[in-house]
Amino acid sequence: MPSRFTSRFTSRFTSSFTAVTAIATRPHASARRAVVLTLFAALAASSLGLGFAKPAHAAGADDIKARGYLTVATEDDFKPFEFVDDGKPTGYDNEMLALVKKKLPVEVRQQIMPWPGILPGVTTGKYDMAVTAVLVTPERKNTFDFTTPLVESTTYYATKKGSSIKSGDDLVGKVVGVQTGSAMLADLKAYDEALKKKHGGQGIKQIVEYQSYPEAYQDLGVGRLDAVANTQINLNSLIKTRPDNFALGQALGQPVYIAWAVKKGNTAALQMINAVLFDLRKSGEMYAMQKKWFGASFESMPQSIN
Amino acid sequence: MTAFDYWSITRGALSTISLSLASIVLGVPLGLALALIRWARVPVLDRAVYSYVSIVRSCPTVTLTLLIFFALPQFGLSLDPVPAAIVALTISTSAFNCEVWRSALIEFPRDQYDAALSFAMPRLTRMRRIVLPQVWRASLPGLVNEMTLQIKSTPAVAVIGIVEITRAALRVGSNTYEPLPPFVFALVLYGVIVYVLLRVQRSIESRMRQGEAA
Repeated sequence: MPSRFTSRFTSRFTSSFTAVTAIATRPHASARRAVVLTLFAALAASSLGLGFAKPAHAAGADDIKARGYLTVATEDDFKPFEFVDDGKPTGYDNEMLALVKKKLPVEVRQQIMPWPGILPGVTTGKYDMAVTAVLVTPERKNTFDFTTPLVESTTYYATKKGSSIKSGDDLVGKVVGVQTGSAMLADLKAYDEALKKKHGGQGIKQIVEYQSYPEAYQDLGVGRLDAVANTQINLNSLIKTRPDNFALGQALGQPVYIAWAVKKGNTAALQMINAVLFDLRKSGEMYAMQKKWFGASFESMPQSIN
Repeated sequence: MTAFDYWSITRGALSTISLSLASIVLGVPLGLALALIRWARVPVLDRAVYSYVSIVRSCPTVTLTLLIFFALPQFGLSLDPVPAAIVALTISTSAFNCEVWRSALIEFPRDQYDAALSFAMPRLTRMRRIVLPQVWRASLPGLVNEMTLQIKSTPAVAVIGIVEITRAALRVGSNTYEPLPPFVFALVLYGVIVYVLLRVQRSIESRMRQGEAA
């Protein structure tokens, strides 16, 4: 990500001139000028404040109904769950959300943004819910409440086609990529610990953390990585698009669930969405959607995972 | 890459341009105001400006953007992505612009100011006719330099869901798994934007030279 260099020409320049200022040019700083400049600064500052009108969202069931909408945040590059195709957000979660919208008594306002902003957006109350593939982990349960699961998932690794890695044990001494702050990272770290116990202190050579998966897949493709850890369904989708380049490895963790997340205690929004999701499970529409996007359906998932 | 992919990255360019323009239009005068406060040594305020500039210059634009977008709602101030991005970019560029303006103000010869005083020229006229034209001329290269950096720091606001050139290119790359074409196209777009900006700077500078010769 681009960040600014601090030693830019402006700062370097001025520091060499400050000594001169002290002796030379000093115009008469009258009180009236101070007033004028203060006004100018205040004006400039207030002109920035045009957008400062809306209060923060944090609402109960009645508040949500009175307000008439729920705010949700969705990712844009997590195939097959959510991605942008020809400018339109699509994928499993977006199509599920479209089904939910039809039955929800209130409107849904969706914002599309990169993963790093989504969970912070929910905890700070910027959004009511993360409508994106959030893997349910014990740590996350401390901060979030989850809807009924939308899909079941296990962390797997994928390699380049024809790689020498034949089983999880072959990951010893290899470089593995994974998304930063993800549950797959936790799974991979736990697997690394298990490898070290099994192989006398020898484990994965390096775990490289990525902002999002496309970069990791690209690095796997060019050989900077030996393997990438992600959920089985994500990797299946990758391999379906690129069967000549990549191959699926083995499981690195236990089956877990993927659900939409609300801030802990936001039961109003949770119940509203859950009611619709239960209907979609009962009618089989959710399972049909799973078949469409993941090539398998998960009907034995528990009703609640909180 | 389909024609639509090129179009989506071009649309990203429109948001890069409009966000940069908005923050430049707000940030350049704001920077001048801050620089004037320091130049005039307005009591209390100039210390405040000094701290503001130091803090903002040390703060990466991404961090500032996240802070404005995610931390402000906890104080009851919830901004939509576009205003939040404009505020973050303006705050950031104004600090750098302040230093550019200030370097020109420091260099401004005092005897001219005193001469204007001896003609009993009113304060605003003194500013408008004597100080600002010269300070503007001396600041222009630095200001345009900051503008080019500003344009290239807009990808920072992608963290809050703004789709500018780089984000649009990433989206295309993550869908096709072919990162090279979208990024090359993105670089071309940045190149064109900065080129246009530099042409504008050159034409302003040559007009200023003509004005001097006349």
